[in-house]
Amino acid sequence: MTFFHFGNCVALSYVPYVIVYKCSGLAEYSAFWKCVQAGGAYLFTQLCKMLLLATFFPESAAAAGGLDVTGEFLKCTVDLADLLGLHIVMSKFAGKGQLKFMIAGMGWATAELVMTRVVPLWVGARGVEFDWKYIQMSLDSNVSLIHHISTAMLVWLYGRSDLQKSLVPVVLLLLGLACYRPLIVEILIHAVGLGSWMLLMAKAAFTSCVAMVALQMYLGIPSQLVNSHY
Amino acid sequence: MWFSEAGEIVEMFRSSFPLSFLFFVPIIILISPVSPVYAAQEFNVYRMQQFDLQGSSYGCKNSLVNMEARPIDAKMLTRRCVVARLRDVTMPKFRDLLTQNAGALLVILPENLSDLSSEEREHLQSLERDLMAEETTLPVYFAPETPELQEIYEDLVHGASGDTAATAWEALLSSATANGFQMVVSGAQSKALPEFQITNIQGRLSGHGIEEQLPTIVITAHYDATGVAPGLAFGADSNGSGVVALLELARLFSKLYTNSRTHAKYNLVFLLSGGGKFNYQGTKRWIEENMESTDSNLLSDVAYVLCLDSLGAGSSLHLHVSKPPREDSDGGILLKNLETAAKSQNPPVEFSLQHKKINLADEMLAWEHERFSIKRLLAFTVSHLSSPKSLDRTTILDTRDRVKPEWLSTNIRVVAEALARHIYNLTSQGDFTLFTDAVATQEEAETAWLEFLTAQPRATQLLPPESLFLSMLETTLSRYLKDVRRHTFKADKRDPEFVFYTGAVYPMNAFNVKPAVFDLFLAAGIAAYLAVLYLAATNFHLVYSGLRKVMASSSPKVKSN
Repeated sequence: MTFFHFGNCVALSYVPYVIVYKCSGLAEYSAFWKCVQAGGAYLFTQLCKMLLLATFFPESAAAAGGLDVTGEFLKCTVDLADLLGLHIVMSKFAGKGQLKFMIAGMGWATAELVMTRVVPLWVGARGVEFDWKYIQMSLDSNVSLIHHISTAMLVWLYGRSDLQKSLVPVVLLLLGLACYRPLIVEILIHAVGLGSWMLLMAKAAFTSCVAMVALQMYLGIPSQLVNSHY
Repeated sequence: MWFSEAGEIVEMFRSSFPLSFLFFVPIIILISPVSPVYAAQEFNVYRMQQFDLQGSSYGCKNSLVNMEARPIDAKMLTRRCVVARLRDVTMPKFRDLLTQNAGALLVILPENLSDLSSEEREHLQSLERDLMAEETTLPVYFAPETPELQEIYEDLVHGASGDTAATAWEALLSSATANGFQMVVSGAQSKALPEFQITNIQGRLSGHGIEEQLPTIVITAHYDATGVAPGLAFGADSNGSGVVALLELARLFSKLYTNSRTHAKYNLVFLLSGGGKFNYQGTKRWIEENMESTDSNLLSDVAYVLCLDSLGAGSSLHLHVSKPPREDSDGGILLKNLETAAKSQNPPVEFSLQHKKINLADEMLAWEHERFSIKRLLAFTVSHLSSPKSLDRTTILDTRDRVKPEWLSTNIRVVAEALARHIYNLTSQGDFTLFTDAVATQEEAETAWLEFLTAQPRATQLLPPESLFLSMLETTLSRYLKDVRRHTFKADKRDPEFVFYTGAVYPMNAFNVKPAVFDLFLAAGIAAYLAVLYLAATNFHLVYSGLRKVMASSSPKVKSN
């Protein structure tokens, strides 16, 4: 389409990040540099993951179009490295708990956005052909912002000693769900045959559920109840 | 100092956001790569003929298209690519497009050209004739209908209904929801081929005795085809059937001539001429070369020239002459032989003599034999067509299905019988069949040849000397005949009689596009979405306190822990 269309897509994908950054208090702590560091950690983690995948997971000769569940499962297992990376990032930063996972989640999500969305938008949304998929891609990046922040929150929760012991399995379950999300999405596409818009809605609903539960557990931590600034 | 200036510039951009915006956006637009081609639809389109003949130009001059598509009955057609079904394209409509300054025309042909009704055939043929009558700057393309193309067309017709909406708001809405298409044919503009060579292929069978003293019979057929689009000109009947007949005659007589008892006292010369659809350019040059050159005695003692044109799509036969032959001349004898041979077929083939004087005022000669008749050589054309004005010889409808192998085979047999009766002097021998058993005509072989000839478009400009098709013809002729030679020629540099142009088949891309209004709507929607998001983010503490209330009420134990 036109340059205007590209502008639309960019606004749709980036402005929510700016809004979250400004409104979550990160701006007041001038955490910009730390976010960039978290983004660097994201890059490093992806590099390690790629090395791992290239070394230990040879290209499976699955039929094109078919669903290779085991292969996908193994690939998602490698994504556990993301959680590790998030954990390391958070353990390196000093600061309040809330700030820690916000910085890690923001940096992580922004780095992913820059790495995976800019080029497709630049090349695709400016082509002559109009396609809804670039708008969907932009909306999807909004969903993944929530996803990354809630994942970071869960990782942080898991590392807390004052988390109720009964909640640990819930946290682990949610972490697992977050980690294997691509696999679940793949299965959904093949099994239910969701259209691209429905798939996006399903992703948004799924992610917001995980986020709500994580938020509730976060609020359940005693220290948060005492020194919340709201 | 250099650095401090740079620093000032940076400072300038930092202080003023609108300025930097105005500065950078054009740069980004400028450096952005040319829009990459990611088309949802790509299909082949066949461009209309373009050629210059005898000083005047015909066909469409342009080839490039990059325009929005519109159906033919839309109101605004200026600088648009008009997409229309064949039945909607008429000559008045076409003139209307020209006056409205339309950008291009894409005609969707029915998927199967062979099951058109006779009215539709007539419509297409007269359209072809009228389109080719003059030169136009409008790029005209033809494409056979495919499901994708049909979808595009229906989308277009549906989208154009917005022009007739009742209110301005409805029109705005329908234009925002409509699916537009940008049709793109890119690549190089069609350009002239001044070096293009037309090829004739000739071969001969020498008669029994001293070759120089024997009379010669020339059998010729032009091998090219034409139609409104060169890429669609398969020319099964005209003149694929003539070529098949010539090859079959070459095969039969080569068999007869190798046996000393059936070695006749006539030289046979076979000629496959090129450029036949362009006023028989190949024949013309061939005659000139052979008449002028002193060492060639090919045309010194010619009994007659027999041209084969369109023999497969009708069961009757007509002998076209420029001057009725005297009864005792070679021509008269052949005429009589043809009559007897036609009668002796089962069922008898209808045969007649058609006399038409050469009209030198005409731009185009009617038949190939007129090229020879002008040079005072006795010549005639055998064809199933009764009139040279028939449009069947210059149409893209002339496909393989039009030719019936039985008819073709019978017609070939008639011609072969008549020729044999003449050269073996069997005119007064009464009723008998000569070509049976070992020297029978082979219908399967003829059909196979016809399949080969119609497997690719045979417009003259698509058959350069190095083409596989011509080498195939040459090899086949040299299997039967002696002294098979190619004869190629170019148009004169200063005053070319014919000029051909590149570009017969192009890939066309149809890009799905939305109108500019749609982008505005989208921008408004995105702005609203972001505003909602902003409100939600600034009021996130409400969610906090809400959740906290829920937790406090459901599990009061948490606090006590």
